[in-house]
Amino acid sequence: MEETVLRISEVSKHFGGVYAVSGVSLDMKGRSIWGLVGPNGSGKTTLFNTVLGFHRPDGGAIYFNDNCISKLAPHQIYALGLVSAFQIPRPFQRLSVLDNMLVAARGHQGDRLLDSLFLRRSWQKREVELADKAMEILELLELDRLASSPAGELSGGQRKLLEIGKGLMASPTLLLLDEPAAGVNPNLGRRIFEKIKELHQNKGLSFFIIEHRLEILFDFAHWVYVMDKGKIVVQGKPEEIAKNPVFYQVYLGER
Amino acid sequence: MIINWAQVLFNSAITGSLYLIGAVGLTLTYGLSRFPNFAHAEFITLGAFIGYLAAEQLGLGLPLALIVAFLFTGMVGVLSYQGVFQPLAKGGATIIHLMVASIALSLILRYSIGALWGWKPFYFSTTWSSFEVGPLRITSLWLWLILAAVSLALIMHFVLVKTKIGKAIRATSSNPELSLASGIQINRVILITWFIGGGLAAIAGIFRAADTQLWPMTGWDIILPMFAVAILGGIGNFYGSIVAAYIIGLAENLGVIALVALGVSTEYRIAIAFLILIITLIVKPQGLAMLFRRA
Amino acid sequence: MDPLVYVLDLIVFIGIFGIVSLSLNLEFGFAGLANFGKVAFFLIGAYTYALLSQAGVPFYLCLIAGAVTTAIAGFLVSLPTLKLREDYLAIVVLTFGEILRLIIKSEHWIAGGIWGITISPAISVVGVSARVSTLINIGLVYLCLFICFMVVQSLANSPYGRVIRAIREDEVAAEALGKDRAKYRAQVFALGSAIAGVAGGLYAQYIQFIDPYMFMPMLTFTVWIMVLLGGPANNWGALLGAGLVELFDRGTNMAKDYLTLPIDPSNLQYIIFGVLIILVLFYRPQGLLKESRVKTKALELVRHGRNSVKNKRS
Repeated sequence: MEETVLRISEVSKHFGGVYAVSGVSLDMKGRSIWGLVGPNGSGKTTLFNTVLGFHRPDGGAIYFNDNCISKLAPHQIYALGLVSAFQIPRPFQRLSVLDNMLVAARGHQGDRLLDSLFLRRSWQKREVELADKAMEILELLELDRLASSPAGELSGGQRKLLEIGKGLMASPTLLLLDEPAAGVNPNLGRRIFEKIKELHQNKGLSFFIIEHRLEILFDFAHWVYVMDKGKIVVQGKPEEIAKNPVFYQVYLGER
Repeated sequence: MIINWAQVLFNSAITGSLYLIGAVGLTLTYGLSRFPNFAHAEFITLGAFIGYLAAEQLGLGLPLALIVAFLFTGMVGVLSYQGVFQPLAKGGATIIHLMVASIALSLILRYSIGALWGWKPFYFSTTWSSFEVGPLRITSLWLWLILAAVSLALIMHFVLVKTKIGKAIRATSSNPELSLASGIQINRVILITWFIGGGLAAIAGIFRAADTQLWPMTGWDIILPMFAVAILGGIGNFYGSIVAAYIIGLAENLGVIALVALGVSTEYRIAIAFLILIITLIVKPQGLAMLFRRA
Repeated sequence: MDPLVYVLDLIVFIGIFGIVSLSLNLEFGFAGLANFGKVAFFLIGAYTYALLSQAGVPFYLCLIAGAVTTAIAGFLVSLPTLKLREDYLAIVVLTFGEILRLIIKSEHWIAGGIWGITISPAISVVGVSARVSTLINIGLVYLCLFICFMVVQSLANSPYGRVIRAIREDEVAAEALGKDRAKYRAQVFALGSAIAGVAGGLYAQYIQFIDPYMFMPMLTFTVWIMVLLGGPANNWGALLGAGLVELFDRGTNMAKDYLTLPIDPSNLQYIIFGVLIILVLFYRPQGLLKESRVKTKALELVRHGRNSVKNKRS
């Protein structure tokens, strides 16, 4: 019996009376690549932000690896291994690419004030381990040459990759990606997804991905949820969704 | 303790009126250019000195002096924006950089005034008639001050609501991108706002100096209460600042009574505005703005 | 004044303000906190030292107590301001400083009010010349400066330093990566204040007399220029800035005695100061020294290749 990774149970979120997310439930088991699609304004990003702790759900509950995370703050959720990469990359501009990666590490002893001052030997060891891991990920994403450059100097596509790299540093159980292929040319978009697939196969990472480039997503996702007007209207394997008339209605219908 | 409530209310109106005239420019430029302009204190001081120069040293009389000071300090406001703040902002300066620049500018203005006039206090020679109306003690200066504040409120309201430029100012403070798209010349709006801001600061300065004394710290002495008004009223919000000015005026004067009753030094009077300032920023930084949707 | 003592005196002031500059550099340069009320914490340190020293407490305990009280004050001030935008934070702390000054001015029983309070020097040897006693102060001040520098520099070159810089660059992104920005902000404020408190104590015992008029907002502003000029997020820059600004201050004061000018030099000094600041903001806003890198073993690994560091014994 596969373990449930993320369970969302009847979750709703409204802003000033308008329901962005309304009674959404999903049960994600095992290790997989899940997709979330839907027209603009269907509530996908709001759902993500609620799961990640940026919004409190107005109704329902969210469980991650059997922990109830509905009331936790983003940094606490991060610490549990539920990590996301921003849709519009937010690199720490003046920090180097390597530093950007290192900040993303979870539970680094050197992050604590007193430990940082007095237990230098101890955290230096960890620094080396993390730097090694960071460089490995950067090599995978083909960003290793830029390790010492300020992140502000990266191109749009490179920033996207860095954003994913940061997410990977945390050794997450589940990584939420909001439109990883948006704003870059389709070839790079496809390469990004290939990297995602590699990471899933080689490292066992799970992904939950919002994406508008359906032709790319459907090639890589194992299971897709379709949202419309704040609700999940249909879900299934990509091949089946692609043949489902509800799916077409949702995308081509009037908002 | 017998309290002359009528006097307290009247004094509140005086304090509030002074704060209103001085704070309007501050709140508008803060809202528009998005940084706190500490040199506003020196606009107040400069205006007061120019007023003194015109009225006393050149013998032009007070009404004319008010006009001269308004125009002169308005120009200084515009030049400050065009010469310092606008180029810095275009070059990527952050809010903090602009704040620091405004403090640097205030140093330049303050010590230039100190160099030209010296640091000994000056006094306006006009004698103001003082009379009793029932329990109230009134001086004509105070009446003029309240009259000026009320006129300002009415004129500004008229301008903001009925004239093209006024509507442009309101549109630009609430939504710069949209107003740019609809053809409003933002730069002109900004320059006019800085002009009015500087000019009104001068008026406030002259009233303040005429009521107390004139020296290079005249503006700085009252700048923090002015910030309190701007923030309580909602930064960039003209109508809010009217309400805030009189609330703070009232709070200060009631506060003085409380201080006396408690046997505490009345030096703490200014702390009342300070506390309102801090509490507003911490609890509700938008101030009273939610009461008035339009600037 | 004896010219040598004049120079030594300048060195003491550079030391004291170097410490304050380091504290602001930590708060603003590294952590992005716009502390426009630095003088308030300097004041708390000075007055704490003064009152304890009058009560007969030995100087090193006075300095430590000064650091502790100021740290607590910094922590308390940071709590309600944790989510404030930078200009709001600046205004709040500035106003806080003014309130503090007002209280000391009005409550004479605390520390003499406007009449001030005298302090005896930390280390006094009977019968020595001004030169020697100033030298002793240089020793004490620069020892404290050294300790403070080691602390802030270690932090800057550590994961902690990396995290606070990240929070400075983008609070929300940092929070999303698991960094509790409230905690970091409070810690930095407390530590920065503690360092400023030490400087305050050193200042009090050096000039041996303090009153509320010595702690005006101008002092905060002067320290800001030191940090901005020297280069934010660079501790050597903070010291450089302190040196240059103090030099300018003393230099213009000296010029007063030797030159006759059409404008009263004390006014001219500030006018030039204001102009210089605006010029720096226009032409060198990043300051003289660049932001320092986070120098840990991680940096070495990148520079020299992954295997070279892994195989070294740490």
